[in-house]
Amino acid sequence: MPRRRDEYEDDVEDEDEDDAIDEDEDDEDYGTSRGGGGGSDRKRRRSDFFDDAAEEDEEEEEYDEDDEDYGGGGGGGGGGGGSRRRGGKSAKKASGADFFELEADVDTDAEEEEEEDGEDDFIVNERVDLHDEEDARRMHHRPLLSREDDQEDVEALERIIQERFARNRTEYDDDDATEVEQQALLPSVRDPKLWMVKCAIGHEREVAVCLMQKCIDKGSELQIRSAIALDHLKNYVYIEADKEAHVKEACKGMRNIYTGSKILLVPIKEMTDVLSVESKAIDLSRDTWVRMKIGTYKGDLAKVVDVDNVRQRVTVKLIPRIDLQALANKLEGREVPKKKTFTPPPRFMNVDEAREMHIRVERRRDPMTGDYFENINGMMFKDGFLYKTVSMKSISTQNIQPSFDELEKFRQPNENGDGDIASLSTLFANRKKGHFMKGDRVIVIKGDLKNLKGWVEKVEEGTVHIKPNATGLPKTLAVSERELCKYFEPGNHVKVVSGAQEGVTGMVLTVQGHLVNLVSDTTKEVLRVFSDNVVESSEVTSGITKIGDFELHDLVQLDNSNFGVIIRVDSEAFQVLKGVADRAEVELVRLRDIKYKIDKKISAQDRFKNTVSVKDVVKVIEGPCKGRQGPVEHIYRGILFIYDRHHLEHAGFICAKSQSCVLVGGSRANGDRNGNPLQSRVAQLRTPNRLPHSPGRSPRGGPPLPGGRHRGGRGGKDSIVGTCIKIRLGPFKGYKGRVVDVHGTSIRVELESQMKVVTVDRTHISDNVNTTTPYRDTHRYGSGSETPMHPSRTPLHPYMTPMRDPGATPIHDGMRTPMRDRAWNPYTPMSPPRDSWEDGNPGSWGSSPQYQPGSPRSRAYEAPTPGSGWANTPGGSYSEAGTPRDTTPAYANAPSPYMPATPGGQPPMTPSSAYLPGTPGGQPMTPGGGGLDMMSPVVGGDNDGPWFLPDILVNVRRSGDDAVIGVIREVLLDGACRVALGASGNGDTITANPNEIEVVVPRKSDKIKIMGGAQRGATGKLIGVDGTDGIVKVDDTLDVKILDMVILAKLAHSS
Amino acid sequence: MSLLYDSFVLLRINHSLSLDLSFCGSGNLGKMFFHIVLERNMQLHPRHFGRDLREKLVSKLMKDVEGTCSGRHGFVVAITGIENVGKGLIRDGTGFVTFPVKYQCVVFRPFKGEILEAVVTMVNKMGFFAEAGPVQIFVSNHLIPDDMEFQSGDMPNYTTSDGSVKIQKDSEVRLKIIGTRVDATEIFCIGTIKDDFLGVISDPGTTS
Repeated sequence: MPRRRDEYEDDVEDEDEDDAIDEDEDDEDYGTSRGGGGGSDRKRRRSDFFDDAAEEDEEEEEYDEDDEDYGGGGGGGGGGGGSRRRGGKSAKKASGADFFELEADVDTDAEEEEEEDGEDDFIVNERVDLHDEEDARRMHHRPLLSREDDQEDVEALERIIQERFARNRTEYDDDDATEVEQQALLPSVRDPKLWMVKCAIGHEREVAVCLMQKCIDKGSELQIRSAIALDHLKNYVYIEADKEAHVKEACKGMRNIYTGSKILLVPIKEMTDVLSVESKAIDLSRDTWVRMKIGTYKGDLAKVVDVDNVRQRVTVKLIPRIDLQALANKLEGREVPKKKTFTPPPRFMNVDEAREMHIRVERRRDPMTGDYFENINGMMFKDGFLYKTVSMKSISTQNIQPSFDELEKFRQPNENGDGDIASLSTLFANRKKGHFMKGDRVIVIKGDLKNLKGWVEKVEEGTVHIKPNATGLPKTLAVSERELCKYFEPGNHVKVVSGAQEGVTGMVLTVQGHLVNLVSDTTKEVLRVFSDNVVESSEVTSGITKIGDFELHDLVQLDNSNFGVIIRVDSEAFQVLKGVADRAEVELVRLRDIKYKIDKKISAQDRFKNTVSVKDVVKVIEGPCKGRQGPVEHIYRGILFIYDRHHLEHAGFICAKSQSCVLVGGSRANGDRNGNPLQSRVAQLRTPNRLPHSPGRSPRGGPPLPGGRHRGGRGGKDSIVGTCIKIRLGPFKGYKGRVVDVHGTSIRVELESQMKVVTVDRTHISDNVNTTTPYRDTHRYGSGSETPMHPSRTPLHPYMTPMRDPGATPIHDGMRTPMRDRAWNPYTPMSPPRDSWEDGNPGSWGSSPQYQPGSPRSRAYEAPTPGSGWANTPGGSYSEAGTPRDTTPAYANAPSPYMPATPGGQPPMTPSSAYLPGTPGGQPMTPGGGGLDMMSPVVGGDNDGPWFLPDILVNVRRSGDDAVIGVIREVLLDGACRVALGASGNGDTITANPNEIEVVVPRKSDKIKIMGGAQRGATGKLIGVDGTDGIVKVDDTLDVKILDMVILAKLAHSS
Repeated sequence: MSLLYDSFVLLRINHSLSLDLSFCGSGNLGKMFFHIVLERNMQLHPRHFGRDLREKLVSKLMKDVEGTCSGRHGFVVAITGIENVGKGLIRDGTGFVTFPVKYQCVVFRPFKGEILEAVVTMVNKMGFFAEAGPVQIFVSNHLIPDDMEFQSGDMPNYTTSDGSVKIQKDSEVRLKIIGTRVDATEIFCIGTIKDDFLGVISDPGTTS
């Protein structure tokens, strides 16, 4: 504005005249606005309007003053005349720091009351403010204005006038206001800067006024231009000045300004923000729902009864939280030990009750409203509600969404329901924008069209165009948003989108006005929500299902001894059904109370020692939940969490001891065993070298009895047939035997020790039935695919170190190596008869270089020595790199000498002895013996040996994925294993086919489990590794044994 | 055969409906049974190849399908016949063979607005739950006639003020379905008895 300033200097009168004209224009505008009764942009104008109105109110007085001013001051010295006067007045009005204060004051006031309906209010306010102003003005007017040479003031004044009028103009004449013009008004680098100065909290205004005083007193010495105190900004005032030094100078000696602190420059871009009003207008009117921000009632819902804008106080209606006993004690002067922050629950005040406790209850009439109130200890009650007058600042008014329960409570004392209407109407006031969406089904709830249903077509501000669902009406109707309500029909599937039940989905049961009753999908509870908070949806959720890491239906550890299943997730707490059998204990816990999630997949045993794992269906046979049935969801510490869909409490969860349950029929988890084609397909993919069985040859013998006789058995349709079991109950307890036949729940067992076949209950046989059950055809793939790696890598190794007794080994070598080769050479031409062997053992055999030590000799055997008789395998298999046995087609013809032995189902020891004639030893400890022993289960041919045992560490390799380490938890009947992932079995439990599983090869000093041979199932420690042999110290007997590494599996740590 | 189905059969006997399937799609119980033809690709393990391949296939189909629930068709109650078994396709590498099987089956699918009869399984203050075969139906207290009041106690029930009508566990009620939600594994309905000719049809208290 330099130009104008110059002008002003040159020709003050002209300027004055200009101003006067401006002012006149403005006045006209005001007039129209007043006449018009308020346009859309009235709010803004009102602030200016206040000024003027106020001025006019006091015009009489001021004119006198003005006259004096003009007389005394040379600045406005020109002629008189109305316009002149007014111009002077406007100049004066804008002059000095008091203007700023006034402006700021009025502005904020006006903003706060923008929405206020009562005009009286602001006029009252205006007057109040103006009184102060007036005083200030009376005191300081003259010296200020009279100071003609006060360039700063004049400049500031002019600038302000300019700004103000410019703003007015832009406000009023919308046509002229372009963005460019607006931009031009923004502060630039050439304008004075705004500094932020720290001051004492609560003294912001005082500081500003003091600065003004100082300015008046010191005049031009004070080089700041303005001081601004904002109501919403505590601890700071803004000072407008050109230089920081000016600010410092001005602040010097001010009591409430902390000069020590840094003076901050407000960036130019943010300068406008300082003076623009951010806080939203508070829409406080009667019957508005608010929430208390502080005190005992913090967070409580309250209803505004009266608003006092002058004193910024509001009278609200609350449900009292009063401890009558404490009150009585207090009134009677009794000392009560103060309880730590106890908040009494909200409860309606019962006056009679209070009287009974000798609390003085006065009945008074409120002089203002004429209503009667009960007065207890200075608190006002009516109809049980507490009427409390609080500061506007102590309530929050924005986005109050009373829950249905809260509203219900408020309605309680007077059932006549008129409160309902009011509450709902105010609820609508709180409606979010964009509440209605195109396509929403709505119903008209007010006016002529009441009960008209339709669909939302278009939403404009405040108006909704609906397509009515009735004939004879225009295509679309424009209806006010407030007259509409969402509409649902019983049976609609909906989702709650806001409020306490947010996220819940369910089906609408009934619609009662604005209330929708719905039945939640997950909990099957009936919920009441406002139709506003509901949208139609087809998804199914139960609201929030997760806080932090914990999800609905997770098994969690609460503290050292407690655990439970999350049965419900509230907004910040979980409901946990504790793992206490026979008694449903539900605890509400917070996130921090939960230690961790238990995701061990353990299995338990039911009453009849059947293994129950997750997803198995069990039936509770004793306890309070007797008769209930459902799939097991979690197992922990012998407690089963069962989900029963008929059980409505606790989200359908039942907690029972595993001992009091019985496994029922099919198991879902095990269902995949056979049924999952994908898995099996995957499995099959990994074993492309599967050979067709030669029917004649496949030795169907059962698995060997450990060290016992072994007779050929029938190819078991039932997995258990042919297995070796131990009877653990009944008259034959302790006997071992082989299963001959199965009839329902009873099995026929051929006893080992007696030539006798006995019938026992299936449940009376020992557990390892499961583990020994020979689902063999799958097993061997696993081992086969894994182990061959070893020999192929280190074929030379053994050649160099023929450390073994050459007498014994060569034979093994000769016999076995070919097979091994076969095994991992998928392209091997088949020697059909041998499939069982080759498929079954090669892994184990191959991997045990113990058979190779004699390699020099073996080489000789392998070399074209077809006649050797036991070199049975076809030559193709030798094509493996690293081995010199490339071409030995001659073998092909040779039937293996094993073969007669194997089908016969001879005891494992036999082959070794039979085929090691040359072995002087035939020693029991011969590695060969061990090897044979180990492989004996394989003899079973089709159903090859039970390899895996629970608790061993394995690598699970699903097609396409990397191998994952896991712990076998259970070996299922079909040979598939339930494997808990993770080194200690903490992870998920999966069911893996044997051919997906590879045993983790133990290392020295690992705990191991013996997977085959006589010691099968025993645990021990691997105290040393010798080639392919492991030196094992068996736990039970403390014997040291040398066993093939292949039959050793690393034991999982924690089991 | 699944448990669901077992209970379902029981219910049908309860209602003295014949197991003859000719009633499907007719009768006063609405059209909730359908005899339809569905198709499914069955994977068969090579071990089943042989003379009785077809039987194996069918038994596997029955095992797989009966008692299941699909959103579109509802519960598969029973397979009544095999329409056609397509050409098997051997899966590379696995030996499994995929057969497209067309089968006829009876499905049970409740619809909105349908009237059906159900046995009350649980009564609480929010309403009662009833079952019609595999379908669970909830009747909220809003949808129970206003003159019926909830009586808590050992045997929670809804009773009219004069005590003449009582809904408690094991009562048989006729109700109208007003909403259905079909999951992968279950169908859940809400029903009403607040309408003409709806309500208790047999009371276990009176019969026993």
